[in-house]
Amino acid sequence: MLWSQNASPIRPQHLYLVVYINLMFGVLSSLPDLSDKSCTFKVTLRNFRVILSWELKNHSIVPDHYTLQYTVISIPDHMKTVEHCSNITATFCDLTDVWEVLSETYAVTVDGFRGNTTLVTCFIDFFLATHISLEPPEFDIVDFTDHINVHVNFPPVMPKILDGKVLQFYLPLIIEEQSGGIVKKHNPTLDENVTGNFTYVIDNLLPNTNYCVSVYFKHRNLEEIHRSPVKCTLLPPAQDTGSSESAKIGGIITMFLIAAVFISTILILKRVGYICLRNDFPKVLNFHNMSSWVFPEMPPLEAVAFVEVIHINRKKKVWNYSYDDESDSNDEAAAPLTNTGGYTKHGLVGGLLGPTSASSATWEDRLEPDTEERDLSEPEADTDPLMALGTNPGGSECTSGAYEGRGKLLQDPFSKEDSSSTEGSGDKIIFNVNLSSVFVSALDDDDSEAPPASPSFPEETYNLEDSHRLETSFLEARGEGTQPPFPTPSAECPWPEVVLSDISDSSESGVDTGDGYIMR
Amino acid sequence: MTSRCILQTALLVYFSTTVLAVNYDLLRFQLSSSSVECQELLLQLNGTTKDCLKDRMNFKFPEEIEKSQQFQKEDFILVTLEMFQKTSDIFRRNLSSTGWNEIIVKNLLETLHWQKEHLEEILEKIMEEENFTWDDRTLLHLKKYYLRIVRYLKAKEYSICAWTIVQAEMLRSFFFLDKLTDYLPN
Repeated sequence: MLWSQNASPIRPQHLYLVVYINLMFGVLSSLPDLSDKSCTFKVTLRNFRVILSWELKNHSIVPDHYTLQYTVISIPDHMKTVEHCSNITATFCDLTDVWEVLSETYAVTVDGFRGNTTLVTCFIDFFLATHISLEPPEFDIVDFTDHINVHVNFPPVMPKILDGKVLQFYLPLIIEEQSGGIVKKHNPTLDENVTGNFTYVIDNLLPNTNYCVSVYFKHRNLEEIHRSPVKCTLLPPAQDTGSSESAKIGGIITMFLIAAVFISTILILKRVGYICLRNDFPKVLNFHNMSSWVFPEMPPLEAVAFVEVIHINRKKKVWNYSYDDESDSNDEAAAPLTNTGGYTKHGLVGGLLGPTSASSATWEDRLEPDTEERDLSEPEADTDPLMALGTNPGGSECTSGAYEGRGKLLQDPFSKEDSSSTEGSGDKIIFNVNLSSVFVSALDDDDSEAPPASPSFPEETYNLEDSHRLETSFLEARGEGTQPPFPTPSAECPWPEVVLSDISDSSESGVDTGDGYIMR
Repeated sequence: MTSRCILQTALLVYFSTTVLAVNYDLLRFQLSSSSVECQELLLQLNGTTKDCLKDRMNFKFPEEIEKSQQFQKEDFILVTLEMFQKTSDIFRRNLSSTGWNEIIVKNLLETLHWQKEHLEEILEKIMEEENFTWDDRTLLHLKKYYLRIVRYLKAKEYSICAWTIVQAEMLRSFFFLDKLTDYLPN
């Protein structure tokens, strides 16, 4: 108990006094002797019955019957004769139903008779609560693998002397468990109305171990204890099925906990951002259409539109200041002549840039000029772009922009944009061509035709090494099948469109040479 | 510096409160031990009621204590304090006719005195901590009970039979006191 400094509740001198008194006197180690000069009495609680027994000190005196009377000191009343304890030959009397108060001082008189002669009179007075001897109750044990059930026999009706909390407070029940030299005391809580068979479970025991059990009442004022006879038992060994079942259950629970921890960890990491799950897999990892991947579809028939590219070797006109008429005329005549065969045919694959064509060659690959053209080109000649290689009237910016757009198409033929734009472009291939320097013809009937001899226009040459600039021009062609996607010309960069169907049109824009070519 | 002082003050107040708080579990144990001790000392006092049955008297121990009525902790302290106090006063009277062992009587008086002072300190502490009102009826009944005992002794001129009857009555009162400690609130 904690006290203030000023009011120390446990002063040393007082503490020493209490300790001294306790050491000198202490709790009564044994019951005080209930005797007078003639008799020795003993009051016992046996099987929850209050039994008063007596014994004559002088054994030579042997009464043939006895009569017991009693009174209570706190109430000035006459001695009362106990009827069932009158003229009895036994030297004990059951006073359970007579003595109902534990906290009383009872004065008892026992008269011993032989016939009608009183041989002896014994008198005793005692405070019952401090003089009653507590004999242990009857009990039984039932052993299990890991626990023992202790069954204590209580009477069907508790005597009035133990009513209320008297039993729990004044006469608590103690169950002792002994094993291997270790003694454990159990103090079961008894209800006020405890009756019949009271069961107490001693659990947490070791299987296949010997245990001994005893019970007794712990007297509040006395150290003297009357233990019951010990009952020992050897617990059965643990059963495998039970342990296996428990192991299985434990394993299942452990697995469940591990899975729960793992899943919760994944969810936490995903929410925090350590794990970023993507749903949009690259197309190369798209295995949904396995059939098409395993058995690729044959590319559709592609419309092939051939476009003849007429190379015009345009010599840089060098003024020859010699006024020789023959040389000039020869040059003028020779130039177109030498360039007559200076055009190249290129085939444009309609499905070149389609999404399903995995092996389609690029536009650049198809626009490889013949080696003859390289010979025809002069290093000093002006190299103007032709055919797909025409100048962009929109300017260099548009050219580069268009090229970039096209470059995008080439680079990502499997992109969704390409597929959608392919579908939107229909069946057209659009090229920008410098019509001033290109002869365009439809190749359906004109494949075998020789290149036209058109010396009237100057020879022009172009350098294929600069094809990346020239590719900004587009030539529109018509054909079947899917068409490669082409970037739509922006408003800033209008692209001229050439319609091949108008080849035969002898409009103002071109001069029909009569062999299917349009000279513009 | 200020925060440290505040912290120290707070700790001091907290632990002071803890120190000053009444531990009723320990009080219950102490009271029970004192009651049992007193009973044992009384039992060691020689005496028989064989020739004193005519001197018996019903002192009418308060029924609310005999029935172990639930008390508030303040009332319980007052009741137990009164019982120890009055018992001590009784056994300080004329015991010359009893022939009792003076050492036993002295030990009994010292045990009663120590427990009485202990209870007085607790009562002062309770009165400082909180304002409470106790049940005057129980205390009045208890005062009347001990007054009857004193009057009885005086009337019997402190005879041996009177002291024997009082001895038996004190055993009863300590049994009730011991039983009452079981109802002390935690």
